[in-house]
Amino acid sequence: MPLPPLSLYVHLPWCVQKCPYCDFNSHTAPANLPEQQYVAALLRDLDAELPMVQGRSVGSVFLGGGTPSLFSVTAMANLLQGISRRIQLTTTVEITLEANPGAFEQARFAGYLEVGVNRFSLGIQSFQDKYLQALGRIHTAKQGHDAIVSLLQLGCERINLDIMYGLPGQTQQQSQEDLLQALTYGVQHISWYQLTLEPNTEFYLRPPSLPNEDMLADMQLEGQSLLTSANFQQYEVSAFAQTGAEARHNLNYWHFGDYLGIGAGAHGKISHNYYGQFQVQRRVKLRQPKAYMVAIDALSSAVTVTQEDLPLEFFINALRLYYGVDSQLFTQRTGLPIQSIATPLQKARQAGLMESNRLRATALGWRYLDDLLTYFQSTG
Amino acid sequence: MAINPLIRNFSIIAHIDHGKSTMADRFIQWCGGLSEREMEHQVLDSMDIERERGITIKAQSVTLNYPARDGRVYQLNFIDTPGHVDFAYEVSRSLEACEGALLVVDAAQGVEAQSVANCYTAIEQSLEVVPVLNKIDLPQAEPDKVKREIEEVIGIDASDAVAASAKNGIGIEDVLEQLVQLIPPPSGDELAPLQALIIDSWFDNYLGIVSLVRIKQGILKQKDKILIKSTGQQYGVDDLGIFSPKRESIGVLKAGEVGYVVAGIKDIHGAPVGDTLTHVKTANVAALPGFKKVKPQVYAGLFPINSDDYEDFRDALAKLGLNDASLFYEPESSDALGFGFRCGFLGMLHMEIIQERLEREYNLDLLTTAPTVIYELEMSNGSTIYVDNPSKLPSMGGVSVMREPIVEANILVPQEYVGNVISLCVEKRGSQKDMQFMATQVAINYELPMSEVVLNLFDRLKSVSRGYASLEYNFIRFQPASLVRLDILINSERVDALAVIMHKDNAASRGRLLCEKMKQLIPRQMFDVAIQAAIGGQIIARTTVKALRKNVTAKCYGGDVSRKKKLLAKQKEGKKRMKQVGRVDIPQDAFLAVLKFDH
Repeated sequence: MPLPPLSLYVHLPWCVQKCPYCDFNSHTAPANLPEQQYVAALLRDLDAELPMVQGRSVGSVFLGGGTPSLFSVTAMANLLQGISRRIQLTTTVEITLEANPGAFEQARFAGYLEVGVNRFSLGIQSFQDKYLQALGRIHTAKQGHDAIVSLLQLGCERINLDIMYGLPGQTQQQSQEDLLQALTYGVQHISWYQLTLEPNTEFYLRPPSLPNEDMLADMQLEGQSLLTSANFQQYEVSAFAQTGAEARHNLNYWHFGDYLGIGAGAHGKISHNYYGQFQVQRRVKLRQPKAYMVAIDALSSAVTVTQEDLPLEFFINALRLYYGVDSQLFTQRTGLPIQSIATPLQKARQAGLMESNRLRATALGWRYLDDLLTYFQSTG
Repeated sequence: MAINPLIRNFSIIAHIDHGKSTMADRFIQWCGGLSEREMEHQVLDSMDIERERGITIKAQSVTLNYPARDGRVYQLNFIDTPGHVDFAYEVSRSLEACEGALLVVDAAQGVEAQSVANCYTAIEQSLEVVPVLNKIDLPQAEPDKVKREIEEVIGIDASDAVAASAKNGIGIEDVLEQLVQLIPPPSGDELAPLQALIIDSWFDNYLGIVSLVRIKQGILKQKDKILIKSTGQQYGVDDLGIFSPKRESIGVLKAGEVGYVVAGIKDIHGAPVGDTLTHVKTANVAALPGFKKVKPQVYAGLFPINSDDYEDFRDALAKLGLNDASLFYEPESSDALGFGFRCGFLGMLHMEIIQERLEREYNLDLLTTAPTVIYELEMSNGSTIYVDNPSKLPSMGGVSVMREPIVEANILVPQEYVGNVISLCVEKRGSQKDMQFMATQVAINYELPMSEVVLNLFDRLKSVSRGYASLEYNFIRFQPASLVRLDILINSERVDALAVIMHKDNAASRGRLLCEKMKQLIPRQMFDVAIQAAIGGQIIARTTVKALRKNVTAKCYGGDVSRKKKLLAKQKEGKKRMKQVGRVDIPQDAFLAVLKFDH
């Protein structure tokens, strides 16, 4: 069986301060960021992973966090150079950097572009100071605006804006205003997602007052039609893009592709043909940056996904796509015959939650995706 | 031949938290029954649930050697009794094995209704009741007042009652001294034909049935051929002995003694509680009086959430039934819930404990329908039927009179809460029969519909009296009442498991409340869920659970699916506690909602 396309995720774990809604592996940055030491650890981590992906090339790199833009241009250059020396990058490789719209990051944008970053994902979240404060963001609405403008002036064509809705005290109109503002810049990709309260966050412990379920559903419908009328296709539950501007890195996740994950707490997924047996392995790295940097072996766990769990993992990703995926992709990515999911598939189709001709949620199924996914949960 | 004059068989009568278990532990310690290390707190409550809830459910016994001040060593056989109102029947059994009882009363709180009832039982059975004041070292203790109350309420002399504190080991030896002086030794002839009373029987995985017996006369030895009077079945005695409190084989039990017998009996019906055991060669000996057969008071349907678990559920009930003769069950099938069992319980606590044990010890997920009492129906054709399941209520056309069970409830409560207790009893459709002011408390006597009592009166009483009121009740008669069945319809389908029988005057308002309550309890789903309440086919209330607009996690961090899987697993765990009726997921709480709206 041919192996899936390969991506590379790099986790840069530090932030100036932790946002109250964030449940990612992020840590408050020390006064002197140990850039060099961390980049060295990342490359050591990558070296250890290489034997598993021999002969394969990387189609996308995602520098996520944390706040990757805390890293200097020099550090980023060393990192990207180090990566390209170790593993083949395709000629069309997409290299995305997550960046905050703070003042000093903007000064670095040109440098990042120069050293190979060709796509930016800006954590705008809102264009209104009131909500930025409520979210614990350290940037202002004006800095958000300036960041976008400066990237555009530098000629960067591939920009994503992260925008959130359902913020504490937000009305439907205010959420629409954020989208309208985002659309004025002519960017081609918007990640528009609902604020949710995740365990192990400040907001989960002390929940702010959020719009109710019905208001949220209305916001979503309104936002969807607004973005559609601006020629954005909702190609995934939370991702909207104009034609050709889709995030290739994320598309690979949603097609259940492979990815190496390097960095503190990074997750990777790698398929093997192991003596003719197709297997999918999930690999997780040590969470604490300090421990990660000094570890000889950064691996925290490596687990082969069981055959019972593979269908759910596949559909958690694939059904988020508006068009879903071809039926063949199931076998290509899981190594399992399509018959192995005949029963849940039939039930989901009978319930009107999945299309009959491909592995795709119906409009109803897409709205109740979490209910649909329970059909593919292993029993037990 | 005369019996050993140094034997004392006794029980302790006490309210749940008046310190019975602690007192028993002190006795065991004093007499050296267990080493310090073995002395795990409260030795006698051996079930996990007993220990967690601080209650005693099953009778148990312990034999101790007490070196008294007169220089002689007495054999003390302590037979434990349950303290909760649900398990009153167990008490009379335990008392049957004794010549005396210690009445342990909290010196700060005074006498409690269940203890009063148990004392009366003891006095009726000609037992010597020895009062003891416990918790004497509490600052609120009022020993003189409480002594007076014991005399007024129970009518026994309390002037010499020992003032003790089991917790701090005060007065323990004095209590033991009074015990050996005041409680008479058992009577009975060792040479007479064997008569042994079965006080309790339980199933042990290794031994089969173990029976706790009191030898009334004669001698029982290992390898004896014995016979159970009611069944005529014969067995050989494999083992017998005492609990010290560890099981200790001693090979012989003589008249007046209490101990265990193992005789290769395979199930509980082979050694019925209250039965008489004798030797095969003296098969004609008279049977002892035995016990009143206990009847369940509360019935509920129990259904496995996963229908595949039905067989396991049946096996689990059979096993629990081995140890709990009061548990009644028969197969029931519900349109809404599938196959399950109609179970009869002694009360709500008993029901909770059974459900908890089934879930914990047998790993089952169960759904319980609203508990109900039994109703007596006189039919137009002259026959009388009993209904323990609202969905089985016949159409009213064929019923000439419907009667509900009435109980006589005795309540003891400190004066300042009398008002609260009376309003509660009025709310529960009670009629007052008597009220008397005692030294520290007021004795209130009410007749109440059993349906109002068994469901939550006990908890309500506790909450309106800051925990001080105590309750004891007995069924007295069936009484005509105007009753109706309230049905709940979900998406126009009558859900049999949600039906309840109730008083006509309350039905309409409860129907409306129940609809609202259901609306809060049934989660929003992918479609609208209509909830209706109906009496006799007529809709009296309706409401709708609006469809959930969406259920999808906004952001999925592509790299790490573990979080998403956890979320879905949690969602699934939540659904485990729900039963699908038609297409609608209904949580367990909704089935019990009918009980909860008068809080």
